[in-house]
Amino acid sequence: MVDSAAATTVRARLAAKARANPSVALGGVCLLLVLVTGFIEPEYLSLNGARSSLLQAAPLGILAGAQTILMLTGGIDLSVTMIATGSAYVAASQSSHGAAVAILMGVAVGLVVGAANGIGVAVFRVNPLIMTLAMSGIMLGTFTAWTQTILRGSTQVAPFIKELAAGSFLGNRLPYSVVLWAVISLILIWLLRRTGWGRLLYAVGDNETAVRLAGVRTWQVRIAAYIAAGILGSIAGILLAGRTGAVDLQLANAFLLPSVAAAVIGGTSIFGGVGGYTGTILGALILSVLTSMLTFLNVGQDIQQLVYGTIVLALAWGYAGLANRE
Amino acid sequence: MNRDSRATVVFNRAGLILSRSGWTLGVWLLLLALLIWYANLIPRFGEFQITSISKNSLPLVYLALGQAIIVIAGGIDLSLGALLLLSNAIAARFMADQPFGAVLVIALLLIGLVAFLNGMTGYVIRLSGVPDIVVTLATSYIWSGLALWILPSPGGGTAPEFRWLFTGSESGIGGTYVLPVLMMIIPATVVFLLSRRTRLGLSMYAVGSDSNIASLAGLGVTRAKVASYALGGALAALAGLATVAITGTGDPRFSVGANATLNSVAAVVLGGIALTGGTGLVLGVVAAGMILIMLNPILSAMGINPNNAQILQGVLIAIVMMIGGLVTLIRERRT
Amino acid sequence: MNRPSPLLTISGVAKAYGSVVALAAVDMTVRRHEIHALLGANGAGKSTLVRILAGVHPADRGTLEVEGKTANFRTPVEAMRGGMATVFQDPALIRDLTIAQNLRLSRTDPATFEQWLEEFDLGSLDRDRMVRDLPLDILRLVDLARALALNPKILLLDEITAALTADQAEKLFELLDRLKTEGCSVVLITHRLAEVMRICDTATILRDGCNVAELEVGGITQQELVHAMLGSPVDLAPDTQAGTTAPTTAGAETVFAVEELASGEAVRQVSFAVRRGEVLGLVALEGQGQERVFDILCGERRPSAGRILVDGSPCRFLSPADAVRQGVVLIPGDRLQALLPSLPVYQNLVVTLITRIRQWLGLPADERARAANAIDSLSIDTRAAARVRRLSGGNQQKVAIGRWLVSGFRTLLCFDPTRGIDIQTKGEIYALLRKLAADGAAVLLYTSELAEIPLVCDRVLVMHNGLIVDEQAAAQATEASLLTAAHGLV
Repeated sequence: MVDSAAATTVRARLAAKARANPSVALGGVCLLLVLVTGFIEPEYLSLNGARSSLLQAAPLGILAGAQTILMLTGGIDLSVTMIATGSAYVAASQSSHGAAVAILMGVAVGLVVGAANGIGVAVFRVNPLIMTLAMSGIMLGTFTAWTQTILRGSTQVAPFIKELAAGSFLGNRLPYSVVLWAVISLILIWLLRRTGWGRLLYAVGDNETAVRLAGVRTWQVRIAAYIAAGILGSIAGILLAGRTGAVDLQLANAFLLPSVAAAVIGGTSIFGGVGGYTGTILGALILSVLTSMLTFLNVGQDIQQLVYGTIVLALAWGYAGLANRE
Repeated sequence: MNRDSRATVVFNRAGLILSRSGWTLGVWLLLLALLIWYANLIPRFGEFQITSISKNSLPLVYLALGQAIIVIAGGIDLSLGALLLLSNAIAARFMADQPFGAVLVIALLLIGLVAFLNGMTGYVIRLSGVPDIVVTLATSYIWSGLALWILPSPGGGTAPEFRWLFTGSESGIGGTYVLPVLMMIIPATVVFLLSRRTRLGLSMYAVGSDSNIASLAGLGVTRAKVASYALGGALAALAGLATVAITGTGDPRFSVGANATLNSVAAVVLGGIALTGGTGLVLGVVAAGMILIMLNPILSAMGINPNNAQILQGVLIAIVMMIGGLVTLIRERRT
Repeated sequence: MNRPSPLLTISGVAKAYGSVVALAAVDMTVRRHEIHALLGANGAGKSTLVRILAGVHPADRGTLEVEGKTANFRTPVEAMRGGMATVFQDPALIRDLTIAQNLRLSRTDPATFEQWLEEFDLGSLDRDRMVRDLPLDILRLVDLARALALNPKILLLDEITAALTADQAEKLFELLDRLKTEGCSVVLITHRLAEVMRICDTATILRDGCNVAELEVGGITQQELVHAMLGSPVDLAPDTQAGTTAPTTAGAETVFAVEELASGEAVRQVSFAVRRGEVLGLVALEGQGQERVFDILCGERRPSAGRILVDGSPCRFLSPADAVRQGVVLIPGDRLQALLPSLPVYQNLVVTLITRIRQWLGLPADERARAANAIDSLSIDTRAAARVRRLSGGNQQKVAIGRWLVSGFRTLLCFDPTRGIDIQTKGEIYALLRKLAADGAAVLLYTSELAEIPLVCDRVLVMHNGLIVDEQAAAQATEASLLTAAHGLV
């Protein structure tokens, strides 16, 4: 009797802690997954294991950053993986002009497509799901056609991009791409927490009318958000291309749903106004560790998808449970 | 005088119906225009083309009808394509080399099973308070994993009579157009009547329009939500069955399901159902689904690379939605 | 005196939302043949009690008894079966369906519904009209007729007169009187004390989630009711009396003016000017075009004709951003249009400081001081500051005003800022508006409470059918003179 009462208070206190700081709870889940994976494959608990998981997580984390920014405004980007693929193609085709031009041209794809998405959503008020879905179709068609004409044969990536995506500092210990992700993370966290634009992202997602009546041109905020998401998509695409060394139209496809899932697991509300990038980083790490674990378990694609789906559902549910009790 | 006013009433009523279902009408007119254009593009337009268009549209039309019901009730289901995969995989695996009677029983059981599974998804959404899009994103992995587990590689089959039922021919090539057209009209009519003429259907509209008010008015929000997801699941199962009938095999690839989901959302929006829920008629979605399918043969008839169909489809959706956005914008400014 | 037997007995009902206690313990008895007023300041727990009675939320503790039988409703349907019919503040009608479809959904008997509708001369209402196309007053009456068609033992009316015209309200009162004699009791929630004095028999007063008094309305004055609601006598009048300042503003320069403003049928011709240091009142019955005027003035909508002048030079407002840059700012009638509900008070206040792209990459250095100033001068209760959603209505309104104190402004447009707000906060808002004017702002105040005019304004305009039909000096304006003009009888 006394024991159960004590247990209840302990549970209540834990729940209150988790509510106050969801990142801690997420970090716990992530740690648990790492330990389980280590139990399955002791090799994993080494510098190499960490390195491979981080390498996995970097592009996913950057793509999920794009979703986080947009989800905070109540939007979403289903074209972000096509942007990644398209940027990779363009960067590859421009490889002969040197790495800088290649990367800039690649990022320009994200800028242009992001701006188009943003104009559609913010000015013409198209539902973001539909706008980016249509954009994804347009890009897939365009690039399919271009691979047979102007982009023909340009599937090889410049050495510099390969080095950036797959190379490392300090004798193969610290991958460049992870460092790049860390820098992007810091910038994103700074933008969301310490700048007027970041504040407006939350505000627009919470109540656009109130922000408009406050004298803010909300369409500018939204378009900037889609452009930022497009640029992040481009960076992720170029990293992916560098890692695989070649590009094809399926390059980033598999990352679309995980990029949304990582942001959701990290506690960003799909309705806008609530969340942040710290949670998303943890979300991306959790999904990457999960992928490693399933690979070590040597199970088929079928079981991998089953487990992946179940874990995403369980985490989202747990999160909602915490938020509802509040 | 009296007759005059009655005429006015009739006229007003007609205007009201027209203004409310204007979008639906517009989509059907667009489909008609595309059909006429297509008929003039190719040297011979006959039964073969009608059969081919109507049967190839079946899976998307079913899936879009299911998505429409779920969207009307205020949700969105990203797992419908995965459910199509699951139903396709189960059907192909267990229908192979079975007599027609057994195949029909399997089909009915399958519809019931998938409806139950998706109804559970709807229940989980209500219970957990997790947004629809997130839950169905997760379940889409679960169902496609399950589909892959049941049918690890493309294969399987079904009874020839079952193929005839959906395609009008036992081999899936040519045949009569009566069956595919009927198989499109009957489910669409049933879903339409269910959504507009029954209390359950209206309660789906109510819940999608405003679930708080619906519950104040004493409606069962959970019941409407679960029912909409179950109905969506049943239609996804039907889409899987149509796929197995058209192709004669099962194909459990993840990307097939993901594309089907995205197309169903596109058809719903093009069909005039707002993603915010509570409005729109499911009939427009039938035409929208067929339009999206027809772009492919039209472009190949024009001698254009079919890859451009994808571009055209995207541009079409974007432009239609932008015009829709502009129209509401102007209307808001005016009133 | 032999009092009728109790019909509804509420004892010890309590309800908390998370850590916020909405009802501490409420006891209340509604007798047969009675119209029972439920009164209280905002946040006293009236709406929560209605929701419990209507079965929307279950009570945490306590019991309900209808005719002596325990009736703890768990769903709205159970409550309806138990003899309760509720008309909520917002009509419980689905906007995207027709009236006929709505009736079908709630299983309302069309014939009975028809009868009740005819009581309000709405028998000719087309049932195939979409709810979204109908005006609010009609919807409330439709909702009421639907509730009456349930043939309830107890009718709960939450602020029903708020959207009704005077003659509709009159019809309603006659109807309630008749219902009372026929044996259906009514629980009436209202902010309008005149109504209470007029038709109610008994009043239960809630304060801070407890019932603090039950009064026989026959034996008391309106003033006593107010005292019972507040707990202590409050001086409604602000420190700076209006009228005394009027002479000084008469010579001051015009800050904001409109000339021959028009917009469709709603606004036909509106011209006026607001001077520096002046509070200009605007009075109108529901739906005379006042919403449209405010929409145009704040930049949400463009006029079809006419000019807006700021400091004498014409301006075109293409969006609220343009208006805000000219110092013309709006406090909207619907508080939800001004608040970021899931964000803290602080972020709500400072959002007005980042309106330009060049402010995107940084934060204003003095925003903390400015926000603290606003919180101070409005005495916003910041105990629930982490999410504005959890603040009481009065505090939310203070935040909506406070965000303009943070950024500064020259012309303040207030659309019914005291609607649905407790008396104490109302007094604070009056004082604040006077103070802002004294500090040099021009204020345009639309209000639906005519009693506010002499308290706050210097001059008052009366609008009717899209036109300004009268102008009066606020100090001399009475409810009678304003109402006469508002009906177009000048």
